Amino acid sequence: MKISEIAEKTGLRAINDYGDREVESVYVSDMVSDLITSAKRNSILITLQTHKSLIAAASVVAAAMIVIVKGRRPSDDVVELATKTGIALFTSDLDTWTFAKKLVQLGME
Amino acid sequence: MSGCEQGKHEWFTCNLRHGFLVVEGCFECGIRSSFFCTERVAPVEEYREGKHFWITMGSYQSARFDLQCRDCGKTVDLDDVFGLMLSECTDAGCPVGAIASRQGPGSMVFVALCEDSTHAKGICVSSEGIAALNDYFNRDIEALGRRVVVVPCKTCNSLDKCRGTIIADTGLTEF
Repeated sequence: MKISEIAEKTGLRAINDYGDREVESVYVSDMVSDLITSAKRNSILITLQTHKSLIAAASVVAAAMIVIVKGRRPSDDVVELATKTGIALFTSDLDTWTFAKKLVQLGME
Repeated sequence: MSGCEQGKHEWFTCNLRHGFLVVEGCFECGIRSSFFCTERVAPVEEYREGKHFWITMGSYQSARFDLQCRDCGKTVDLDDVFGLMLSECTDAGCPVGAIASRQGPGSMVFVALCEDSTHAKGICVSSEGIAALNDYFNRDIEALGRRVVVVPCKTCNSLDKCRGTIIADTGLTEF
């Protein structure tokens, strides 16, 4: 499923401009040290984190998109880095579990 | 000849250890030293060791891993890698900045940080470790039109002045 389709079906709000691409898996974590060792390429990362380090970790594992839950929004320098590294950034008002359930309902695992 | 015999390994992460990266600095001469600690709480200490007086400069939750080849079982020990920093260097006079300026859109340069960013002992991350990290982070991303370049921190003119983002678990208490 493509980034744009996931965003539309789960009511995500885009934070930056992004290039559409296929998403192949889902990973949930608030620890970047966990992301760099366990998240997979072309994944969607769900997190509460808004730190710049999150973008660095997501880019090294070639994640496709990041969803920041509970309506949190990163600072402008974080958004700029995400755009520069080609990572789509979104925010959702839902909590992690509720948003993850939506992805399961879309058939993602 | 197999891929492994040609140096093309199928790396995956192994020996995963979670802990803290602790950075100490000598109050008197300014050199730095880092170590990885697997204790439940990161130590905060001040102590004299020979001519040095070490103080804790900071600690971050972190993870360490090694790389192993799925095909031949070869393992590359990454014990000398203390962190990865996404370079945002724009200084064309710095070799890291020069490498970054040659990359296409979406490609990134990461600086692999060794124990001592001042390189007072003259050692840095091994070339074998750098080669394996480059292979690992670039696996199957050609289709995305991007590239990851990992360089040892000795490549950087001055890490103290370098602009970048270290992958570390900061901000966990800011929720």
